Amino acid sequence: MNKGFRIAAVASLLASMAVAEPALASTQGSFGSTSTGSVTINASVPGRVRISGLSDVTFSNVDPSSPATNAQNVCVWSNTSTKGYTITATGSGSANAFTLSSGALPPVPYTVEWAPSSGQTSGTGLTAGSVLSGQTSSATNSDCSAGPSASASLVVSMNSSTLQGMTAGVTYNGTLTLVVAPE
Amino acid sequence: MPPSLGAYPGEGKARNIRAGVPRFTLSFLLLAAAIALPQQAFAQKVRVTDLSDVNFGLLSNLQADARRSQNVCLFSNSMGGRYSITATGSGSGSSFTLNDGSHSLPYEVEWSDQSGQTSGTGLAPAVTATGRVSAASQQTCNSGPASSASLTVVLRASSLTQAREGNYSGSLTLLVAAE
Repeated sequence: MNKGFRIAAVASLLASMAVAEPALASTQGSFGSTSTGSVTINASVPGRVRISGLSDVTFSNVDPSSPATNAQNVCVWSNTSTKGYTITATGSGSANAFTLSSGALPPVPYTVEWAPSSGQTSGTGLTAGSVLSGQTSSATNSDCSAGPSASASLVVSMNSSTLQGMTAGVTYNGTLTLVVAPE
Repeated sequence: MPPSLGAYPGEGKARNIRAGVPRFTLSFLLLAAAIALPQQAFAQKVRVTDLSDVNFGLLSNLQADARRSQNVCLFSNSMGGRYSITATGSGSGSSFTLNDGSHSLPYEVEWSDQSGQTSGTGLAPAVTATGRVSAASQQTCNSGPASSASLTVVLRASSLTQAREGNYSGSLTLLVAAE
C-alpha cells in the first residue's frame, strides 16, 4: 500500500509591533569653507518568521504490523527578541483533521509532533488547528543557509492499527499545513 | 628757429617721468589685486541645506530593498560649483548603521549631483567623494534651482530579512567642502 501526503507551510506575516514616533532632528549647514548638515534615520522592523526546508512525506510499502514514522529537519527562523514563535498545524481532512483519504474509502488518521530543535524523532503532539506557543528558534539566518542548517523537527506518524485498517495497493493522500507566527 | 625737443633735454626728461609713474603704479596695483582677490573676495564657500530626516516607518516588506530619496540644496561658489562630500554614520567607526539598542541594521548612502534622483553614487563612510558639481545659484536655493542634489538612503533586503524586530535609528552627517 502507498500512503503519501504533501506538507504545505505558511509563514505568518503578522506585524507585532508599533512604529515609534520618529525624532525630528535634521540640521542644516551654514555658509563657509565647509558646511555640515545631518539627518536622523528611523526604521521599524516588524516581527517576522519563516519556515523552510520542508519535504513531502511518503510512507511506501510499510509493514502494517509496526508504526510508520517520518521525521524531518526543518528551518524555522524568527526575528523577535526571544526568537520565539508559535506553530499551528492543520490537515486536509474534515474540520482540518490530520487524515489521509483515498476516494470513497474511509479517511485514515495520522499524528503530528513538533520539536523546536533539529534531529529529533519525537516532539510535542500537535492538535489540528490549535496553536502551540513557546517555541524558540536557534536559526540565525532566515533560510538556514548560514548558521544551523535546521532548527526544528517535524514528525509524522501512523500507528499500526491504522495501517492495518487501510486497503492494500491504494494510495492515500493528504496535505499538512504549518503556520508559524512571531511570538 | 624753435628748439627741437632734443634741444631741451631737461624738459623732455621731466615729461617722461610724469607720464611713466601712473602707468607703473596702475600695473602694479592690478597685479597685486589679481593676486589678492582670489583669497579674499572669491573665497570658496559651500552650504548644504534642505535636509530632512529619513523615516522608513514600519517596513512591511522585508524582502525588498527600502529606499528613501530627498532633494537637497547644495551650493558652492567655487569655479564650476565644484565641491566634495563626506558622509559619516553614527555607527561604530562612522559606519552607516542604525541601532535599536541591542542590534544594528546597516544601510547605504547614495548621492547625486542632480535633484529628483532616486539613486546615485554610493558613498563609503568617512570617505570623501570629490569632483561633485552643484547647479545651485543661491546658497539656500531661494532663487534659481530649488535644489541641486539628491540624497538616497537604502536598506537592503539582504539586511532586512536578517534583522531583529525593533525600532532602529541613527544619524547621518554630511560634510561638504569647496573644491
